[in-house]
Amino acid sequence: MAAPAFHLRLPATLQSVSELLDALEAYAEAAGISPGVSARLALVAEEVAANVAMHAKGASFFQLRVTPGPQFLDLAIEDDGPEYDPLARAAPDTEAALEDRDIGGLGVHLVKELTQNARYQREDGLNRLLCSLSLAA
Amino acid sequence: MEITETTQGAKAVAILDGRLDTATAALTETRLLAMLEKGGVIADLSEVRYVSSAGLRVLLKAAKQAKATGASFAVVGLQAPVREVFEISGFDKIIPAFASRAEAASA
Repeated sequence: MAAPAFHLRLPATLQSVSELLDALEAYAEAAGISPGVSARLALVAEEVAANVAMHAKGASFFQLRVTPGPQFLDLAIEDDGPEYDPLARAAPDTEAALEDRDIGGLGVHLVKELTQNARYQREDGLNRLLCSLSLAA
Repeated sequence: MEITETTQGAKAVAILDGRLDTATAALTETRLLAMLEKGGVIADLSEVRYVSSAGLRVLLKAAKQAKATGASFAVVGLQAPVREVFEISGFDKIIPAFASRAEAASA
């Protein structure tokens, strides 16, 4: 049985990021999504939303849509900030020694590694990040 | 995020309870770095179900400060989703992780 869909649009602020995570946790629990998948869902949402809230000058909102299928959750995250493709960031060196580790780009790296088919679109003045999250634990 | 301080042997323990994310990173960083000024710290993450890159940044900062001052820093009790994030980020190779506080204290 497919779980219900989720949609939430919030002002592009850091406070909204917490609100989004709280709402996603409640949604995942009500939809019977496993804790492991729920954690990945929250992580992907936070990395993208926090990026918008902190860096997208002039963005007024972000919104997340989750559409469940039999094997995947399809995610769409949009914001009205300046054109920016987060997926274009270079991957961090996850083999570097402690002293040399830099944290930049790690959020996007996590999103790419935890999801399938992550892609970016710019349309109607919106940044849109699409990806699929496997429902398999 | 609730942070409770206790000890295990000679080491200070910070028990973290909640999400280690964008919203809680600054508070957690302040507490961990203050504890590290007095010596080695074990961060007990058994009650942390979620760590984002903002949380990883805090743990990296703590590990770097520990290395700079010769103190120890370790994490214990990683839940499966947190362990996954550690592995994808390569943090399992730079921050010592143990199953229990006792193991971390005797390491």
